[in-house]
Amino acid sequence: MNDRLGMSFSGSVGSALPFICGALGVIIANVPISFLGGLVPSPLLAFMPVYFWCLVRPDLMPAPAALALGAMEDLLSGGPMGIWALSFVVSYAMIDRERDGFAGLSGIGAIVGFSAAMLVAETTAFLVVAATHETFPPLAPFVLQAVVTIVLYFPGLSLLNLIHHRLVGPLRSDF
Amino acid sequence: MANGTWKIARGKGSPQLSIAIVAVLAAVLVVLGRAQSTLFDRARTYFSDATAPMLESARGPVNGIGHWVGGLGEIFVIYSENQKLKEENAKLRQWQNAALVLEQRLKRYQLLLNAVPDPSLSAVTAHVIGRANRPFLDTMILDAGKDQGIKPGEAVVDDRGMIGRIYLVGRHTAWVILLTDLSSRIPVAAEPGHIQAILSGDNTGTPSLETSKPGVILKVGQQIVTSGDGGLLPAGLPVGTVTWDGSQFRASLLADSTAADDVRILDLRTPPEQPPTPAATDLPVAAAGLQPLAPAPNTSPSTQVKPLQMPPGMAPPANPAAPPGAKPGAQAAAAPAPQDAEQDH
Repeated sequence: MNDRLGMSFSGSVGSALPFICGALGVIIANVPISFLGGLVPSPLLAFMPVYFWCLVRPDLMPAPAALALGAMEDLLSGGPMGIWALSFVVSYAMIDRERDGFAGLSGIGAIVGFSAAMLVAETTAFLVVAATHETFPPLAPFVLQAVVTIVLYFPGLSLLNLIHHRLVGPLRSDF
Repeated sequence: MANGTWKIARGKGSPQLSIAIVAVLAAVLVVLGRAQSTLFDRARTYFSDATAPMLESARGPVNGIGHWVGGLGEIFVIYSENQKLKEENAKLRQWQNAALVLEQRLKRYQLLLNAVPDPSLSAVTAHVIGRANRPFLDTMILDAGKDQGIKPGEAVVDDRGMIGRIYLVGRHTAWVILLTDLSSRIPVAAEPGHIQAILSGDNTGTPSLETSKPGVILKVGQQIVTSGDGGLLPAGLPVGTVTWDGSQFRASLLADSTAADDVRILDLRTPPEQPPTPAATDLPVAAAGLQPLAPAPNTSPSTQVKPLQMPPGMAPPANPAAPPGAKPGAQAAAAPAPQDAEQDH
């Protein structure tokens, strides 16, 4: 009984880890630190776990989780509500649709896949901001944010791989 | 880095349908965010209050890394930077002396003119615990809120100038909309000349300037300060200098929001303007030299005043409050409130 309960608890933690990683990404992206003197916008760290687990284990990162992480990003960044929530979900839908193609990518291809998903997310955010503010915002900050996030995905992917191998798998034991 | 090495586990049911429902929910969230912003603002303040301890604990080590990484780059320019700072310091000392002399002169002129004193400002110092620099917004989270007396609309300054204003207040956190944010609009004035303008953020480092009156032209290098229009922001807060980017005037901001760790929140307390209490001579009946036909009923026997008895054939005095022969002190006592009238001279 205890074993079963213990297994169930660790399994739940393992299942929640992808979402926890996303939530941590939201918090870290909003910590007041600027390595480049504010020249570039903060990276969209929460999008990395969404993309990664949507590809490899969509059951651990379902669409409502992507919506919740986007809503958290909206809440903590102080912007208009729903912009990142919609962007994450639209991007999630694209990844889900093209999952077989994306999952087959390796090496630089994996980064290209992430870049494509990032492009969809940023384009959606740009269009929603243009619609809600009734004016086109400057395009450059969106491009810069995408570039910074893609660059950080190189180390981010290694970290997510590590978490997936060492924590999510052993905790769930059905890896 | 291989995505293809993973076994893809699909969930049960129809994932496409689920995504469609979630997408509709997200769209509803956008629409509701526009229509019911107060509801989400409340949720946001609860969320920031709840995450404040996490943000504060993450702030220390991450800031340390940031300073360390930033410091590495500065090692190579430390000598030239030091020389430049020494020169700048010498110039600033001269300016400080000039400012002190001018401040004293200004106080003397204000005294001579009996000018209305500037509204008093109180300030609360707060730490920056969160900062969002996104493509369409520039905000900060501070660790001071309603419990510290913070109110929406108050100006936030760092040690150089204005940085933004408070737009949302939680119990112990507050949100600042920075001057560079896409939604930021504040009334400013370019000095000298006191040219009124609106400083509009567009998510670039230099917000744009639009003059209120057509035909008025700004000059590069003019100082920009808050104009105080609307009475929410104090007048005269330093903001930046006027620059030209080839197509429009912009403001090069003095404050550095990316480097600010501690900021001050200014509470503008404008004393409510009180109308002067009219003197007895200002009242129309008294000014016309008329006596009331019947004394006003007075129910309080202790405050009843006996009507002034004039001898037959004598004209009533021009000022009933100051009967002929009354001592100056008595006149002052009879007048309701002569202090205000005296202060005008």
